[in-house]
Amino acid sequence: MIRDKEWVIEVYDVSYTYDGNEEKALDGLNLKIRRGAKVAFMGGNGSGKSTFFLCLNGIRKPDAGEICIDGNPINYTRKGLLDVRKKVGIVFQEPDDQLFSASVYEEISFGILNLGIDEKTAQKEVEDVIEELEITPFQDRPAHALSGGQKKQVAIADILVMHPEVMILDEPAAALDPRHTRKVQEIVERLTEKGITVLMATHDIDYAYAWADEIVLMHEGKVIRQGTPLEVCSDRSALETANLEMPAVLKLHERLKEKGMIPEETVPPRTVDELVEIL
Amino acid sequence: MLLIDKLSYQSKLRYVNASEKLMYAVLTLVLCILSRSVRVAVLVFAVNGILTVGKGGIPLFRYIKLLMIPFAFLIVGTAAIMVNISETPLDAFAITIGKWYITGSRAGVYQGLRLCSTAFAAVSCLYFLSLNTVMTDILGTCRKLHLPPLLIELMLLIYRFIFVLSKTAHAITVSQQSRLGNRNFRTQIRAFGALGSALFVLALKRSNALYDAMESRCYDGSIRVLSREQPASKKEIAGIIMFEVILILIWFCNWPVCG
Repeated sequence: MIRDKEWVIEVYDVSYTYDGNEEKALDGLNLKIRRGAKVAFMGGNGSGKSTFFLCLNGIRKPDAGEICIDGNPINYTRKGLLDVRKKVGIVFQEPDDQLFSASVYEEISFGILNLGIDEKTAQKEVEDVIEELEITPFQDRPAHALSGGQKKQVAIADILVMHPEVMILDEPAAALDPRHTRKVQEIVERLTEKGITVLMATHDIDYAYAWADEIVLMHEGKVIRQGTPLEVCSDRSALETANLEMPAVLKLHERLKEKGMIPEETVPPRTVDELVEIL
Repeated sequence: MLLIDKLSYQSKLRYVNASEKLMYAVLTLVLCILSRSVRVAVLVFAVNGILTVGKGGIPLFRYIKLLMIPFAFLIVGTAAIMVNISETPLDAFAITIGKWYITGSRAGVYQGLRLCSTAFAAVSCLYFLSLNTVMTDILGTCRKLHLPPLLIELMLLIYRFIFVLSKTAHAITVSQQSRLGNRNFRTQIRAFGALGSALFVLALKRSNALYDAMESRCYDGSIRVLSREQPASKKEIAGIIMFEVILILIWFCNWPVCG
């Protein structure tokens, strides 16, 4: 019955200040996220994305405001936190901050064993996820001998094995080459197919525009704009505040319209292919 | 340290059951040290060499180079036992220098040889283990032996972060050198100090980030992980027991009888 609820995450007036800092990292943040959605979080460094993510699974406790997961406010007792962390998993930006074991197999088994699942089942789950994310070729290598992309795959497997309802990826493409970026993007697509709600911080507006169901612009600990990619990316003033450029496809589409090369009433394209189609 | 780690991942004996390797290495080591017998030591040294280089596929020159590390210490140590300076010559050898002799007794020379061979054999046991077993497998065996979890968790984290921090240290060193941090002795000392303090701060930051990441995976204060283990082979265990029995026979019965 909880599953029927439309909003998987609701955030009301959340504020958070780090110890010893004057500035608020989060400053009255409000947000709702639909179950199964693909949401891109954009905003400059220090806009509060990472802090917000840490609040979502109870690592940081807001000074004020309320966060509801599945319609229930986060309960900051041991058991309550366990429940929230089971539902909301975070893949951290820097894999070296996340991978604690030199063995890939041990690493992936950590989260699921913490859920109190018996070893037999856990073993099967770990092996399934290793196969699913194509980790098999390097599963016997130590963590320090893996490439950045491989570490990222393991970091995602770490969380996926726990079957979260919401998966947060903090700049998953940071420091990856184009090939591994594509690989991570493929994996993200598969997460959505499984019905997992994906929240992703990214600086790549072209990708966010093409991929997301919704884009959230953050600035100085607040949400300055939330909406469909088209709504957000057409809002020049919001983009400017967040120091972002309009997606290239959209920009080109507008210019072509101005020049009269395509009719006024066309639906703005989300990808280059769609634009070519219009032309 | 890093070299041994790299080699252990390449060893052909890597996938042999870790408990077996640990048992072999520890038992043999203990027998070597208890017996102090030159014959046991020579046999052990030879067998470990064959296992590590022949079976494990560790390049011979790497193995010899690694053995040279303790060699230097050993020479200095045993020389003090074998060589005396005195006014009266002893029975093994004597070189006159004016009124004095550089000399040694037979007992002294024999003791030195015994020490030297035992030490080398013992080192070869440890090299066998560390060159053919990856660290995470050793930790898995420690878990099975019910060693204190705190100790094992510390080993696990330290092992992982040796590599993370040494990578960071390397990056900092390169960036210092590219700004002429090693121009002269003064700047070198200063750069080294800066490296130390930067690493310390980074290590703290890293540990905080790691703790957050572990907490978000429901960490409750004890690290539980599954380790994948290769099944032990009865044939290999039988071989190990046989070998240890032979060592005991050589030690107690002076077998095979000679001299």
